[in-house]
Amino acid sequence: MKISPQDVLRALATIKDPDLNRDIVSLGFIKELQVEDSRVSFTLQLTTPACPVREQLVAAAKQAVEALGVRDVQVRLTSQVMSGRGRKLELIPQVKNTVAVASGKGGVGKSTVAANLAVALERAGARVGLMDTDVYGPSIPVLMGSNNPPCVVEGKLEPPVEYGIKIISMGYFLPKDEAIIWRGPMLHRTMQQFLGEVRWGELDYLIMDLPPGTGDIQLSLSQTIPLTGAVIVSTPQDLALDVASKAIAMFQKLRVPILGLIENMSYYVCPQCGHREDIFGHGGARAAACKLGFPFLGEIPLDPAIRLQSDAGKPVAIDDTTPCGKAFGEIAGALAAQISRVNAQEPGEIKLE
Amino acid sequence: MAAVPTTIKLAGPQDTVSIAWSDGHLSSYPYGYLRSKCPCATCEENGPPPNPGTSPSPILGRKPLKPERAELVGRYALQIFWNDGHSTGIYPFDFLHSLCPCPTCTARRAADATG
Repeated sequence: MKISPQDVLRALATIKDPDLNRDIVSLGFIKELQVEDSRVSFTLQLTTPACPVREQLVAAAKQAVEALGVRDVQVRLTSQVMSGRGRKLELIPQVKNTVAVASGKGGVGKSTVAANLAVALERAGARVGLMDTDVYGPSIPVLMGSNNPPCVVEGKLEPPVEYGIKIISMGYFLPKDEAIIWRGPMLHRTMQQFLGEVRWGELDYLIMDLPPGTGDIQLSLSQTIPLTGAVIVSTPQDLALDVASKAIAMFQKLRVPILGLIENMSYYVCPQCGHREDIFGHGGARAAACKLGFPFLGEIPLDPAIRLQSDAGKPVAIDDTTPCGKAFGEIAGALAAQISRVNAQEPGEIKLE
Repeated sequence: MAAVPTTIKLAGPQDTVSIAWSDGHLSSYPYGYLRSKCPCATCEENGPPPNPGTSPSPILGRKPLKPERAELVGRYALQIFWNDGHSTGIYPFDFLHSLCPCPTCTARRAADATG
């Protein structure tokens, strides 16, 4: 029996992307389909290189075509990160997605999470930028082991690159023991410069590490660009979750989609005896996400390795064979999948005439 | 999900800003009405000027109030630049939706207020 490209597409249309909840043919994932006698080859183009179910999709696609009696099936895997269909980002037209990493409380590990998510996304094959919007207490340069300040090229800042990630931070611009003492308008201007006057180039994801709270910087960012969404980091304890819900309320007021919650310092495993201790309680962020109807993206243990490597400028996510590195890799995958989902659901551009 | 504008026309019929919403509703806001509801800190504190519009020119007189342009603010609001020079008002979409002056919405607001 001769097999036509239509037969192959019909077989592939039985496979659904679990995140976008549509079949992979109507989503336009199948490219460069070639059918020759009993040889079929095609490219499976996903919406993110960090797709957590990519292996399953490839296997399912292969199986579906083989069921037609084809013996030689070749699937090439590639990805093209999508951006929302909403308003274009005038300041940063080449940046596809902007993700704010926020919390209510300080000290819950936002910067550590932001840096490691950026690293994990880059390792998965995405083009990633990391913007430290915490002007008062910048910590990204230390976390990323970055000492080279940006230089000026053609009137714009060329961001230094560490672990393949373009970075900008106020930390580059002031001596260690100096302090920034600014009011709102200066912060607003700085955010605009960090967006519009940095040579970000083409990026799939720009991760923004926010300061704690619901103040000038959060408002400036949400007003200056239509953010793709916000990730909320919390420790499991009630006190941190109470304040995290204020950050959620702020983003909802500003209509910034909540991409999900991450529980940091989730539990502690004693390296000596393997005993697990839930120092701040456990599961609070998952329960809160469930109650509020937001995705829970994952939990990160309280592990001295994270502190040691962070201080040394070597984010744990660079090695995904360690438990912490693996945790960040999985969370980055869940986040990327959620970004694809939010973008797919986004209503069209608002026409302003 | 709360309604979002699909189309915003600054020069709507009969000197209105007209907004088509994602829930199918259509709102038309007369310029003066919208200007009087300016949510910026100054207008909240002092109230809007009694007679907005450009200052009177000796020959042509006062030009009628109208928006010169507008910008979308993030994902949630509209900033209107009026021809009287005022532009600090950022109108969140929820606020605009709640301001709709059509008879149905006006009646519902009156019922909510008394009920």
